Parts: sequence; structure tokens; C-alpha cells
Amino acid sequence: MGIPVFPPRFDTDLLKPFYEGLEKGELRMSACSTCGEFHWYPPEILHCHPEAKIDWRTISPEGVIYSFTTVTRSLLPGDHRDEVPFTVILVESDDVPNARIPSIFMAREGQEAECGMRVRLSPVQAGEHILPAFEAID
Amino acid sequence: MKASMVAITGVGETEYVRASQNSLMHMLAEASRKAITDSGLKISDIDGVIGNRNNHSTDDLCFNLGITQQVFTAVTDVAGGTATTGAALQLAQLAIDAGLAKYILIPYGISCSAPGGPYMFHGREPLKGDLEMPVGYYGQPSYFAAMTNRYRYEYGLTDEELASVALTHRAWATLNPDAQKNQPMDYDEYLKSPMISTPLRAADCCLMTDGAGAYIVTSTERARDLPHATVTVAGLGIGTNPWPQSMVLTQNPNLLNLPGRKSAADAYKMADMSPDDLDLAQIYDCFSISAILQSEMLGLCEKGQGAKFYHAGHGMPGGKMPINTSGGHMSGGYVPGINLLIEAVRQLRGDRGTAQVPDAKVCAVAGLGGNSHSTTILTRS
Repeated sequence: MGIPVFPPRFDTDLLKPFYEGLEKGELRMSACSTCGEFHWYPPEILHCHPEAKIDWRTISPEGVIYSFTTVTRSLLPGDHRDEVPFTVILVESDDVPNARIPSIFMAREGQEAECGMRVRLSPVQAGEHILPAFEAID
Repeated sequence: MKASMVAITGVGETEYVRASQNSLMHMLAEASRKAITDSGLKISDIDGVIGNRNNHSTDDLCFNLGITQQVFTAVTDVAGGTATTGAALQLAQLAIDAGLAKYILIPYGISCSAPGGPYMFHGREPLKGDLEMPVGYYGQPSYFAAMTNRYRYEYGLTDEELASVALTHRAWATLNPDAQKNQPMDYDEYLKSPMISTPLRAADCCLMTDGAGAYIVTSTERARDLPHATVTVAGLGIGTNPWPQSMVLTQNPNLLNLPGRKSAADAYKMADMSPDDLDLAQIYDCFSISAILQSEMLGLCEKGQGAKFYHAGHGMPGGKMPINTSGGHMSGGYVPGINLLIEAVRQLRGDRGTAQVPDAKVCAVAGLGGNSHSTTILTRS
């Protein structure tokens, strides 16, 4: 299995705290600084409290796979033929059902992702940057 | 929406090819001229133009068509099939009922071969650039592949059932000399199609197309004076869900819950019909899973039974509910939605030669558009 190498674009700083969390082995999610409600993906405006800021909260690094796909032909801009196949999973942390984090599945030999599979955070380096990745919980 | 009194009186298409030498504007203008001619009208008769946010502006289009008279203009603010097979007709009905226009031109085109490819505008989304592209979750095949795996988990889905969508639409394309891919395909051929994003092969994906289509809408009363049999918009419904395009393919609590049930219910109510009244259907098949889900939402079969419905051969030539009779987006050409609507009109006119569904009088068109969905029921008066 490969790893896609395509750094976060960071048009803004909005998502930087998410990646800084991964560097520390933490899973972080955006929430309203006033009421604590999670908002994922982080929006430009928090509709619950428009004057509030985004507060990054550390959440459970364990969760379940909602769905997945193994990419055999990367459609990322540029030539990424050497990076396939890799398996993308949509992970729901136990703390925030229905908020899905696109991530990489770190498979052990012969293992395949499945819907409903329990997983634990295991960030992975992709060149210079870190990616959200999960491995199955035995 | 109240009962409609509008009809589609003219249709036009360019050829559908992988890479055209013509610009998007050239293709839009060619399809528009053909639709105007097909409706028995002249450029000077057109007094309304409805464009789309992802295409050229209506002023540019009018200039290139030589439309110099005052026209009513509007732009559909939804994507894909919802725009071309639902929202544009809704706006046309509003304008015609209000007396703002008599003959409205609705063109739509796509240039998948343009620099950057078909996913470029999705790639501009900051959230995709920060959260999805880094993990390689990019390009529509991957999103719909994840939907397919979820469908398989919830309802069961064999490889043969999944393949039956592509095989059905291809069977129809073999009867359409203008289809982009019309060579016969059986299950063995299907299995040779390269895997893109499991479980979707290239054959499960819509084609990459350069092309355009256009149609003309007028009142049913005026339509009677025009050359073709009158094809009436009998029912129209639009559904949306509360997620923007940038989030709908990951954060919708149930990824399989496209807003098609709402649109279908509204369309059937407006037409005072039920799925039993349909003679055939055209379904927005950006991917096989989209067609499976929408066949269920149209009420052709029960929830979770769409793939089995296809696998039983019901959508095939000679089946009880012919689906995508020009080959759809997976074999005919991918000009989002509009070529499906044009095919519906031609079937209802009885113009389809060897692909003609006998005595076709009622056709549903299901139009997916990201976070929106339309159902349109066309009838031959």
C-alpha cells in the first residue's frame, strides 16, 4: 500500500490546529467557543453563536469507519501513480458521531477496511507533512 | 408548485466526444441553434435564456448567438442534473406564467478536456484542499465509491448487481449511433475495465465528455402551433439537503440519503401520478451507485432493491422500465442532465428508431446535483 503525498494547501490558517494536534498524536475537532457544540468541517461562521470563535477540542482518538474506498487511480493534480493504492476511510470519533474525518487506513498485512470497523488514531508522515491515519483496534 | 402549462418544443445537441476542438461557447451556440431550428423558431423569437452558474453568462451567450432583442435571463444556482432537468424548467415556468417570456432557450455544456479536468472547480474548495486532497480523497469516483461501499454494508450488493447498471445503460447505447461508447459490453468485458476507486471501475463512472445540449420551453398553448408533438412538463419537484457542495459527500449523516424522495413525491403530486404511470425513466448516472439510489427514490422499487432491480433486467431494452435509453451518462455522454432530458423528449415524440420504447407517453427524469435533486415527469399530450 502507498501513501498520497499532497500537502494541505492552507489557503487560510483555519485547519492548522487540526494538523498541530496530529503532530502531538491528538485528534482535534472544531467547536463553538461559546456553547461547545462541534462544527465539522469548521465553518467560516458559527451559526449557533456568530460572534464566537472556533475552539479546537481534543476528542477520542478511537472511533468507527463509516465508509472507505481503496484508490487505485489517484485523481490528484500531478503525477501520483507511485502512491497508489491507498485506502481512504471516513472515521467517526466515538465523541462526535456523524462528524467524519477523511483519513488513511493503516492496514496490517492482508487486512482490509470495513464499514463499522473500530479504529484508533495513528498519524502517518507523508513526506514533510503529517496525515490523519487510523489502524484497526484488535 | 402548481400544475404546469409549459412544454419542451425543441431540442439540440452537439456530438459527444472525449476531446472536442470546439470551445464551450461554440458547443453551447451550436446546440442552441439546433434547438431553436428544431422547435420551428428563429433566433429573433427567443425572448428568454436560462443559464447555469458553471457555464458562460447569458449575455455572452446571447452575443455569440446574435440575440439582440430584449430577453428575460436567469441562472440556475444548483449543480448538475438538478440545474438542467429541474431548476431551469421551474424558472422557465415562472417566467412564462408571469408573462416575462414566451420562448425560452436553456443550454448547458461541459468541457471535461479543459485544462485542470472535471474536478478542478471542486479542488478550489479550501476544505477539500486542507482535509480531503491530502489523504487522496479527491475526484468524484472516490466519493461515490465510498457511498457504494456503505450501500453494500447496509443493503448487500454483489459485484454482478453493481455491474448490471453499466451493462443496462450500455445495452441501450448499442442502439444509439450517437452514443460516445456504443460497443457491446458483457460482464467479462466489464471486468476488464480498470478499477478506479474500489469498488468502482471506469465502466461504473460517467464518461468524460465535451459537448452541449439545449432545449426550448414555451407554453403548452403555443407549443401546439409548433412542428413537434407536444411534450408537457406534467410534474416537477426539487429537493435539497442542508449541506453545501463542499461537505455533502462526507458529512451528510446518511451519505445515501440524496434528496430524491422529496423531489419525486412533489413531482408525482403535481402530475397526479404514481410510479406505476411511468413508461420509462432517465436517471442521472454520474456513477452506478447514483442510478441505483435514484431508481429507489423514483419508486421504481423498494429501498435497498435498486441494484437487484437493475440485475433483474427491468431497465434493459424490452424490460418493464427502460432506463437511460440513450446510454445515459455512463455510455451515451456526460453533459450533466441535459442529454437525459433531451432523450426523454425524443422518446415521447416517438423519434428514437431502434431504441424507441413502444408507445412511450410518460417519462421521469431524475436529476442529481450534489446537495440537490430534481424529479421531472414529462408527458406526450
